[in-house]
Amino acid sequence: MKVYQCDQCEYASVSNKYRCPSCGTGKLQERDVSSKGTVYSYTDIHIAPAEFAHLAPYTVALIQLDESKAKVTVRTDGNVQIGDVAELDYVEDGAYIYRKC
Amino acid sequence: MTNVYIEGIGMTKFGKFVDKSMKQLLVEASIEALEDAGNPKVDAVFVGNFMGGSIGNQEILGALVANELGLGHIPTAKVEGACASGGIALRQGIMGILSGEYDTVLIAGVEKMKHASTADVTQAINAAMDNESNEKQAGLTFPGFFGVLANRYFYETDATKEHLAMIALKNRENALHNPLAQFQKPTTMEEIMEARIITSPLGLFDCSPTTDGAAALVITREKGAIHIRSSAQSSGPTQMQDADDLLSLPAVRESGRLAYEKAGVGPEDIDVVEIHDCFSMTEMLAIEELGFFNKREGWLAVEQGRTKATGDKPVNTSGGLLSRGHPIGATGVAQMYQLVQQLRGTAPNQVENARLALAQNLGGTGSYSTVHILERL
Ligand SMILES: [Zn+2]
Repeated sequence: MKVYQCDQCEYASVSNKYRCPSCGTGKLQERDVSSKGTVYSYTDIHIAPAEFAHLAPYTVALIQLDESKAKVTVRTDGNVQIGDVAELDYVEDGAYIYRKC
Repeated sequence: MTNVYIEGIGMTKFGKFVDKSMKQLLVEASIEALEDAGNPKVDAVFVGNFMGGSIGNQEILGALVANELGLGHIPTAKVEGACASGGIALRQGIMGILSGEYDTVLIAGVEKMKHASTADVTQAINAAMDNESNEKQAGLTFPGFFGVLANRYFYETDATKEHLAMIALKNRENALHNPLAQFQKPTTMEEIMEARIITSPLGLFDCSPTTDGAAALVITREKGAIHIRSSAQSSGPTQMQDADDLLSLPAVRESGRLAYEKAGVGPEDIDVVEIHDCFSMTEMLAIEELGFFNKREGWLAVEQGRTKATGDKPVNTSGGLLSRGHPIGATGVAQMYQLVQQLRGTAPNQVENARLALAQNLGGTGSYSTVHILERL
């Protein structure tokens, strides 16, 4: 999993930015970290837009990565609860698909 | 402090109007506002609208208003800021008066959504997300975002789905007394709790509806009874995964802080509030972010009835987005319609002797927020 870590402060994100939005001066540096993390929160989506309707109901979770301050939004294979440990299974159409460890 | 005053207000009924065009709704609300203001000369028009182009194939809304009303060769513009389009349009008008360029500005907001299929509307609403992100590709939606927030809120506090239902019920009860509201059928806690799930834990009653409708305001530098004490706007993360604190909406917090500072008042001074309750959970977070209650304690205030029309901090006496309805571009303007009525003493669910009022309008998943503070002189 690629994350972008500020070289001046603690800020980290899975998406790059021109300038660190937290301290305003730092530059973000690309880093490779483990995809492993903990479910911070989630929702089961029953009503989906047309492009995802065939998947419904499906679960979208926010994962707190173990090796970075960054969080990442993923779709999970099956239901999850807050506190579950999960990792990347595969990438599909730009979406991270996670499964419980 | 601004030197801008609200002279006139207008609003159509909110609901489903298959026989009325977006232009008709816009013109109806604008004429009502102009008549209410005594038909002053208008120097500019700003229209808040989000999806007129994408699902209605109609743009140039500013020019349409100027032309239909015979306002002459004055400058106009449409303002887009997702669900905050109306609040930002108002702010652009205020900035135009503060700059000295205009004396009197017509602000309008409109949306027409009911003619389109749910799939088309959902797709059009998703334009307010960062469509290149892995987050959008994971299948996150607007109600999904607030579902994730709600589950975390329940985890960190003693709040439950019942507290969200209390917000939905309160706003429905307020709407029953508002003749312009979309939903005027009474409901119960049981019906709300048992309604079908949209994005867990949010059910049907936790989500604002699609709506047709328009609202309008006339603002001017000439001193009047309703003073816009302050206008503020802020931005926040466009992606959930970039939230520093998931249970915070930084754009709401910051726009509130700026509006209080400019107005020289605090949350304790505000008598009546219209908040952007696109979801019941959004109202829960916003009452905390605007400083009315402590962080992670909004649910206690809800449980104690403090945000009811009869409480010490009445929120969404119009019925809010949940029950007055949410014609996206009109919402920020409709909030002002209710608050001006509150300050004039003619509102549905009138708060006794209201003097200071606050409106907060949100766009995207916390991407835009405006706050306006009004004062009765
Ligand atoms: Zn930094």
